[in-house]
Amino acid sequence: MNQRDLELLSAYLDGQLKPSESARLETRLNSDPQLASVLTDLRATRNLLRKLPARKAPRNFTLTRKMVGQNPPLPRAYPWFRFASALATLLLFFSFGVNTVGRQMASQAPGFGMGGGGGAEESTELFSAQEAPAAAATEAPAETEAPILEMAPMPTQMSTEAADAARIVDTPAAKNTGEAENAVTEDQFQVQSPAPLVPSTWQIALAVIAIGGALFMMLVRQLSARRWK
Amino acid sequence: MVKKESYSDKILPMNEQALITDAQGGNLDAFNTLILHYQDSVFNTALRILGDEDQAADASQEAFISAFKSISSFRGGSFKGWLMRTVTNACYDELRRQKRRPTTPLEPDTEDGEEMDSPRWLADPNMTPDQKAEADEVEHAIQHCLNNLPLEFKTVVVMADIQGMDYTEVAASVRVPLGTIKSRLARARLRLRECLQGFAELLPASYRLEDGINVS
Repeated sequence: MNQRDLELLSAYLDGQLKPSESARLETRLNSDPQLASVLTDLRATRNLLRKLPARKAPRNFTLTRKMVGQNPPLPRAYPWFRFASALATLLLFFSFGVNTVGRQMASQAPGFGMGGGGGAEESTELFSAQEAPAAAATEAPAETEAPILEMAPMPTQMSTEAADAARIVDTPAAKNTGEAENAVTEDQFQVQSPAPLVPSTWQIALAVIAIGGALFMMLVRQLSARRWK
Repeated sequence: MVKKESYSDKILPMNEQALITDAQGGNLDAFNTLILHYQDSVFNTALRILGDEDQAADASQEAFISAFKSISSFRGGSFKGWLMRTVTNACYDELRRQKRRPTTPLEPDTEDGEEMDSPRWLADPNMTPDQKAEADEVEHAIQHCLNNLPLEFKTVVVMADIQGMDYTEVAASVRVPLGTIKSRLARARLRLRECLQGFAELLPASYRLEDGINVS
């Protein structure tokens, strides 16, 4: 028995042959007992398989939303709240960063002023060595300058120069110099604590948006999940 | 080919295509209705391919999850055939897992090394204890022979002879040409017949097979 005959018999069993093929095979089956015997065996085998009882599923395989990773439907505005809350959080941190950096920059600014003053120091030293009495005379404008500088918007460098001059020139005008130094210290203090670049009201507003948005989203999620159930 | 009556031949409470369309739109309830309708067929297919109830249940569950996730890829035709493809793929995954992590069966083995679990599904209340024992043995013999078939043969014979699907349905489900299905089915039946000869004393007289078939 060859493979071709086996396939013919199997297909014949299932009624899958063309009428002409079936007729030809039936003629052969009538004259070939071995072929007929194989057909009987295949039929018996198929019947055994068909006799296998259909089993009932041991449990229901119905799916839950969790099993398929479905989330409860959220309002259309939900993504906007999420975006706003995330953006507010980001901006809040950014504002803290900006204010910190701004403060550091401001505290470094007088240092640069002193450096500038250093340059002035040399020239003033030279100047004072040559014309010490005249230096005392030049101190007077410095003294008068200090209160004016307090009012000026960018007084740091000039005022420190004045301070340097006052410190270096050890003359009878030292008393006056001390007053000038006091004036300069006040001035430096004002430079070290400037107003924050991002006002605290803005930061509070951002914090309210960030926290409020997060709370709102949590509430919406819980409500949606409850309604979904 | 006379279709074997199965659970899937029950009439759906709603139009199947409407349920499929709803499920494709993400309606889980619609898909669950389809599951309730097909779960016995899917489970039986998995059981016959894997030969183990727990594994078959796991594979069926995986198959339905996978089917829901990929239902948008269903483009018409036989939904049952499409589901059968999904469950056979889940069975192949399960068999691959078993190969990686072989486990020892908990059931005590008989002298000839076969598992001796009692198939509860055959517990028909109308059967006498003798009939029940005989049916259990026949079932066990058939499952043993199915287990020894190459996977591609087993899949085809389970779909055609146990699920009662026609050739074109099986071909579409397995995605091989019709001629290959015919060939695989014929050879699967032949191998099963040879294997069942070893259980001749268990089989009912009408199914007893006398001589072997020599195929060249």
